[in-house]
Parts: sequence; structure tokens; C-alpha cells
Amino acid sequence: MSDIRDIMEMERPSTEVNRDSFLANKKQRQFERAKTTKRPEGMHREVFALLYNDNKDAPPLLPTDTALGIGSGYKQTKARLGMKNVRKWEWAPFSNPARTDGAVFHHWKRASDDNREYPFAKFNKQLQIPTYTINDYTTHLRTNNDWTKAQTDHLFDLAKRFDLRFIVMADRWDRQDYGHKSIEDMKDRYYEVSGILQKLKGVTTAGSDKKLYTFDAEHERKRKDQLNKLFDRTPEQVEEEQMLLNEMKKIDAKKRERERKTQDLQKLISQADREEERSAQNLQNSRKHEKKLYKKKLQSQPRPSRAESVVNAIEIGSTGIKFSDLRGSGVSLRSQKMKLPANVGQKKVKALEQAILEFKVDPSPPPTDEICNAFNELRSDMVLLCELRSALSTCVYELESLKHQYEADCPGKTLNIPPALQQPEEDESKNIDGISDISLREA
Amino acid sequence: MSNLNIPTDFGPDSGGRVKGLTITKAIVYGNEARSFGKKREEDGHTHQWSVYLKPYLNEDMSSYVKKVHFKLHESYVNPNRIVTKPPFEITETGWGEFEVVIKIYFHDPTERPVTCYHILKLFQSPIVEGDQSLTITNDTKKGLVSEQYEEIVFQEPTQFMQHCLTNIQPLTNGVYKHDTDFERKKILTLENILDVKIKVKGEITALKEKLKLARETMTKFKTELAKVQKPPLV
Repeated sequence: MSDIRDIMEMERPSTEVNRDSFLANKKQRQFERAKTTKRPEGMHREVFALLYNDNKDAPPLLPTDTALGIGSGYKQTKARLGMKNVRKWEWAPFSNPARTDGAVFHHWKRASDDNREYPFAKFNKQLQIPTYTINDYTTHLRTNNDWTKAQTDHLFDLAKRFDLRFIVMADRWDRQDYGHKSIEDMKDRYYEVSGILQKLKGVTTAGSDKKLYTFDAEHERKRKDQLNKLFDRTPEQVEEEQMLLNEMKKIDAKKRERERKTQDLQKLISQADREEERSAQNLQNSRKHEKKLYKKKLQSQPRPSRAESVVNAIEIGSTGIKFSDLRGSGVSLRSQKMKLPANVGQKKVKALEQAILEFKVDPSPPPTDEICNAFNELRSDMVLLCELRSALSTCVYELESLKHQYEADCPGKTLNIPPALQQPEEDESKNIDGISDISLREA
Repeated sequence: MSNLNIPTDFGPDSGGRVKGLTITKAIVYGNEARSFGKKREEDGHTHQWSVYLKPYLNEDMSSYVKKVHFKLHESYVNPNRIVTKPPFEITETGWGEFEVVIKIYFHDPTERPVTCYHILKLFQSPIVEGDQSLTITNDTKKGLVSEQYEEIVFQEPTQFMQHCLTNIQPLTNGVYKHDTDFERKKILTLENILDVKIKVKGEITALKEKLKLARETMTKFKTELAKVQKPPLV
């Protein structure tokens, strides 16, 4: 309302509309409207929302950014005018200080901005191009043999005219009168001269300690040369470069792979060495036995049998469990010492459990140091026991088959398996509590 | 933790680890349970139980234990119970057995916590032959007790931890009495193990003998068989 009054230049109502009252008023109106549109019973919320949104506007076809922010954007059907009084604009003359001819133009401006300076005047920057006298030139500036006085004058004239826009300056350079000069040449000369002049001034007025800008023309030339080269590459060259880079990556990857492999190999070798040391000790123990075995082999030249290989493995002493001896620092539970190492196979674990049950041993005894060691040794022995048992039963099975073969080959005759060997097969199915009577029988 | 008098120059980083030193602390963990005698109406719980961690000897564990984390079954309201002061014990009611994770944290932040697993026992399980893993006593007055002996081994503790471990006050009130005679159990177990070891060793030698015999018999059989099988070949 107030905006209309302002436009019509009518008197404002006594109660001035300010932001707060305006908003409060609006809220009230919205509230009233919200009351009137109620969702009919049974109508789905989604359907209702399609028909009636907050403002009863048609649903927007395009997403607008009004959802964000409070009251901002274009969703408001009415512009929020009238918060401030209208300010006057007037058609006023102005003059641009950049112009030397004092031309006067007109533009619209706020009446309140009456005495302000032309706002764009500040963009009219003037550079301080150093100047020199003939004296200066003859005494100090004849340093560069490539530049004559006339050329230098022309350069400084251009610099002043084009505000050190070297690219424009190079374009406007009078090649007919002053010969060819590149941008770098011009920059080089300009900064050389201005440096000398500044130094001269510095001697007289020691106040300004502005840093001297030294232009490295050679570097700049090289840089541009490089860029030119890069730009001038043919597609074939680009392709080749990419190919070479890829090749380099491949070579690097291969090198790393090789290094890794050699490391692994080293590890394996050192591990094998340790293994050998260990088995060497075992071998010493079983050497006597081995010799016997070897002789026997020479005598009979038996074909390698499954039973034999199992037995050999046991004789060499590869069975049993190696428990980890938790060395190193830190806290641990003693019972961790009794944990079976991860490399023990599922079959061994099962056999071990069976044996523990069979001998009525506490599967998790109170873990004192002594008990842990004894328990671990016991279980290592038990594994060996299980292996021996299975080896024996394999042997017996083989003997039986040999016997049957013999009986088949020459009927009427038979081979006698020693009774000591036959015993355990029946015994095993019963219970192994009969160790004592086995040993008795052996004795 | 008022009895923890650590001089300020014993920072956690002071000194590093003490080489070659090993300190062992014996503990007992487990639970006791008592039946209500009937199913409780409102929640169906049948037992009251408490799961605990106790020092084996009469000493105040709080001088080296910072806190104990009992992880109960997820069906309990906030199953992660943390006890910072002795007695390290949680008492609850319930109807089922489950695994309680007992995690022990130490004062030295450089030492990692150790974890014990205890199957909460409420019911007397049928006695399985050879299964003596847990010591379960069924005392009519105390109810069911299922507890386990364990040792915490501190290998090369830091100086700070060594200080904590060696300056332990005895408990003045509420000295723990263990329901299980672990000393006796230790001796019995060790005896049993050594006994069985001798048995196993005996059986191993016997088996080795038998294997020798078996191999000899096998070679004998083979030569016999070879003799028999030769004629048709010739």
C-alpha cells in the first residue's frame, strides 16, 4: 500500500509500515488462509498436495531456488516494497576527470549523491613512466649496443601511450623506421632503462627503496620457445610421447615386481635353511634307524607303498606340533600359549580332540607355566601317537592285502601276520585303555 | 583408585620397557548363578547370576587394572558394562546362557587390553566324561559356580607398568575366597597330564616297535610273494 502512496505522492498513513509489522501482518494472513484449505477426509496427502499447495498456486513447472532461504527469491507473488522511502533520481551533468577537453555529459543519478565524483574516474589509472634527459642518456643509458637513442625514445613513447601493454606496443612498433624488435627485446630494454633511472634517482633521493625489477629476457625467450614447441607438436608426436610414458610406467612396474620376487625368494631360502638345521638334528637321531632302512631297501627293493611313505615321514620326525612361544613384549593371557597354531590341519585337530577325550585330560587346564608346557608337549606327543596309529593300521591293511594276494597265488599256503600286529585293530575299536596289556604282551 | 600413588616422573612414556622382566598375575573369572526356583512372571527370567573377575591372590587389582569391560548378550539393556573399581562384577537376572566377553584394560595405555571369554553357566550340565574344562560346583547355599583360572603375563612391561604391578596393596576388606580349590586342581591337572604323557610315550614306543615289526613282516611277505610270483615269469 505504502509504495502506491509513494508513487502517487500521497501522504503516508500515520502508522508507518516497517519490516516487523509488515511481516507480522503477512504471517497472520497466511495463517488465515491455511485454515481455510483443509484436506478433505479420505484424500491422499500426495493428491491433495498436487491440488493445493501453500499458496494455491499452480504447481511449479520448473524448479525454483526459492525453497532455500527464508522469503528470498522470486516465489513471492508480491515484491516486498515499501520498507524504505523512495529516493529521487535526477538527470544531471557530469564530467569525466580522465578527459582533458572538459566535455560535459548527462546521466541519471540519485539526488542524494549530488556532490560525488564520477564513480568510474578511479579506473583511469595513470602509470608513472620514467623519463630521461639527453644528458642522462649519454652518461648512463648507452649500455646496450642493440638500442639507439631513437629506438629507446620510440619505446618510451609507446610505453607512455599504451600504458606498458607490451603486446600492443610490439604491435604498434614502427618497424620501418626503427627495425624489428620482439616483445622480449622491448621489455628487456624498458626494464633496463627504468632500473638505471631508478638507481640514479635513488642516489639523489634515498627515500624510495622500491625493489628493482630485473627482467630475465633469456628465460622468457626460452619459456616461449618451449610453449611454442609444445603447441606445435603433431598428433603423431603427441601419441608417441604418450606411448613412451606408458612404456616407462610398465618398466617401473616390472622392476618393482622383480624386486618383490627376489625378496620373497630370499625369505624362502632363509626359512628353508632354518628348516634344514632343524631336520639335521632330527636326522642324527634317526640315522641309525635310517641306515637299517636303507639296507633293507637294498635287499628287497620294495616298490614304494603308501604305508612306507607314511612311516618314513614319521621316522624323520616331521610330525608333532610346534607351539608358538609368545616372545616379545606386551601383555598376554597365559592360556594363549596353549592355543593350537593355525598351521595345524583340521584332521590333526580332530584327532587331537579325540585323543584328549580318550585319555581324560582337561582340554583347558589352569594355565600355569608348568602346566602349559606339559600340556603342549603332551599334545605334540598325542599328534605323533595318532599318526603312528594310522600308519600302523595302514601297514596292517597292506599286510592283509599281501596275505590275500599270496593266498590267491598259491592256494593252500598262507602267510602269518604276527599276532602283536593283529591285536590293536580289534583293540582300537574297544578302547585304548589296553595299552598296558599290549606292552605286557610285548614283554 | 585413591591408593594409586604414582610419582609424576613415571609418565607412560618414561623409560620404555624393562628388558628381560616378566611379571605374572593370576586371576580367576567366571560366574555364579542361583535359580529363582520358578519362572518370573514379568520377564520369564529364571536365575540371578553375577559374572566376575577376581584376583587369585589377595591383592588389589585396581593398581594395575584401569577398567574391566563386560560384554553381555545383546538382548540386555546396554550390554557393554564397564567397571572401573573392584569388585569387578556384574549382577543380572536372565534365563539363558551365553558367552560373556571380559576385556581387561590396564593403566599403561601402551599395553593392549586382554580378552577372556566365559560361557555364562546357569544350569548344571550333564557330566561328560573327561570334560573338566570348567570347575563347576553346585553348592546349595551359593548356587552354581563356574569359574576359571587364568594368568596374565606381562612380558617386558614398561617402567610405569612395573611400578603398578609391584606396588600392590593387599585387599583389606572383602578378601576373595575362591569356590574352587585351584591349588589342588593345578596339582591334580599337572599330575594327570604327566601321567598321561608317560602313557602316551609308552604307547608311542610300543607303536614304533610294532611298526618296525610290521615293516619287517611286510618285506618278508613281499619276498615270499616274489618267490611265488617268479615261476610264471620265467
